[in-house]
Amino acid sequence: MKLELKELVGMSESREEIVKRARADLAQRLGVSVDEIEEEQVEEADFPDMALGAPVKGEMSGQMITSGWRIRLKAGARGGYEYRASGSQLRLYNYKGTNWLVNRES
Amino acid sequence: MNRQNFFGHLALALTLIVLAGVAGQVRRWQKAKRAAAQVSRELKQRVIVFDGEREIKGRAEVLVRFREGVSLDRIREIAAQHNDRFEDEYENIDTGLVALEDEDGLSAEQVAREYESLAGVVEYAEPNFMVYQDHTAPGKHKHTNDEMFARQWSLLNIGQNGGTPAADIRALNAWVKTTGSSDLIVAVLDSGVEYTHPDLAGNIWHRPANLPQYVDDELGAFNDESGFNAIDRLRDPMDDNGHGTHCAGIIGAEGNNRIGIAGINWSVQIMPLKFLDANGSGSTKDAIEAINYVIDRKRKGVNVRIISASWGSTQNSRALRDAIKKAGDEGILFVAAAGNSSEDADKRPHYPAGYKLDNVVSVAALDSNDKLAGFSNFGAKSVHIAAPGKNILSTWLKGEFREASGTSMATPEVAGVAALVLSVNPKMSVKELRQRLLDSVDPIDSLKGKVLTGGRINAAKAVGAQ
Repeated sequence: MKLELKELVGMSESREEIVKRARADLAQRLGVSVDEIEEEQVEEADFPDMALGAPVKGEMSGQMITSGWRIRLKAGARGGYEYRASGSQLRLYNYKGTNWLVNRES
Repeated sequence: MNRQNFFGHLALALTLIVLAGVAGQVRRWQKAKRAAAQVSRELKQRVIVFDGEREIKGRAEVLVRFREGVSLDRIREIAAQHNDRFEDEYENIDTGLVALEDEDGLSAEQVAREYESLAGVVEYAEPNFMVYQDHTAPGKHKHTNDEMFARQWSLLNIGQNGGTPAADIRALNAWVKTTGSSDLIVAVLDSGVEYTHPDLAGNIWHRPANLPQYVDDELGAFNDESGFNAIDRLRDPMDDNGHGTHCAGIIGAEGNNRIGIAGINWSVQIMPLKFLDANGSGSTKDAIEAINYVIDRKRKGVNVRIISASWGSTQNSRALRDAIKKAGDEGILFVAAAGNSSEDADKRPHYPAGYKLDNVVSVAALDSNDKLAGFSNFGAKSVHIAAPGKNILSTWLKGEFREASGTSMATPEVAGVAALVLSVNPKMSVKELRQRLLDSVDPIDSLKGKVLTGGRINAAKAVGAQ
């Protein structure tokens, strides 16, 4: 009885909306236009915990395998930016050595 | 032929006829008995497959006894009207006793209820009950009638979904001795608990009328009628995530109530503590606040003996460690998830499971083949015990049930067994309880060098049932 993806994401945000949020966040961090952020890959993924394997400082999380989306973005030649999404959460994984909860700094 | 000879022959003929009749009847009885035995053997073979849970290997099946006079054609017609397949009539046992198979996705219990409602033509209807083979539940064992029990491989593994028979916590053997105690309280420190869930509501702790509301000196009064909410003191600990409700069900979903699943404890009191938010994350401060609450209640006479903690991170906090140690001093066992990073926790500790305290038990996760789950952390020194943690069915939000995986799910398996132990040994100290759990494992080859005890928890051994 694996969770349906639409249940996990809650459908409050569609795939497109989540990717749009991720692109907007990355554009802001890099100081470039959103148009310069490209989608490398978006795939379903199982993350190790409820912080999607990307806990921010001081965060404790439920140790339950959590399904969601792994979103890989690039900006021109610069690639390897990884966002993780599930439910209403969007996290930037290992950006400059730190995990970020989007809209809340670590 | 003289008159005397005639009567002699007549008597002999009558005797032979009677003997032949008796012999024929005996043959018919023997045939019927053989047929009944055959049916019984077939049923025993089939019920392993058809146990009321169509998801396992087949569709739900029921046995229905129609009333005398209801023809076979009429029975077939009624079955068709209910989208059920007529399988067989056991004419040698009883005319009108038939086996029907559901074809529209209902459970065996539901189908049986459908037929029970046809009182005019049906004498009785019952699900085709599971019969356990001896090797799956050796020794004395106690069954439960919960509708989804057949999917709870962690309690009874009969090889469902490709698992290994007997790779379970031996719950049925333990239940012979105890099914829990409503005098005992287990705190679930998590995202809260859906305390209105139909399979949990009867086992939820509520603050007794004679116990004052909890008031923190600095924060003020908390709404603690049904537990504690560290995120918002004015709200009760209703779960808005599902994770805490899942963990609570593993420990203490009501057992033998024909609903959903069976908890390891059929009877217990679950104290919901909420510090994880709707996303399943929380802060160290709020976890400490909730532990502080538990200690306060314990000191005021609430018999909370176990905290189940299915969460963590790699960040060490001395304050959290101190809070857990203090709980131990108060007689509270702290059962914690080893973590899901597939890492050696001896080298990269995961907290709070990694605190070296006398009252902490760190739990790794197993799959249904007694293999360490691929995601589970391990540690020959720092991870103490393993328990089922993959594809575990339990309670979820909105009165539902769901499978989930993680050391989160293995942790309440151990917390639940600890509660069973205390139900028969209420005076046992934390140190004795912890040692009892660790001494009661079944050694598992795949856990050698991976987990301190090298074994899977065994509820029956822990409660002294075998």
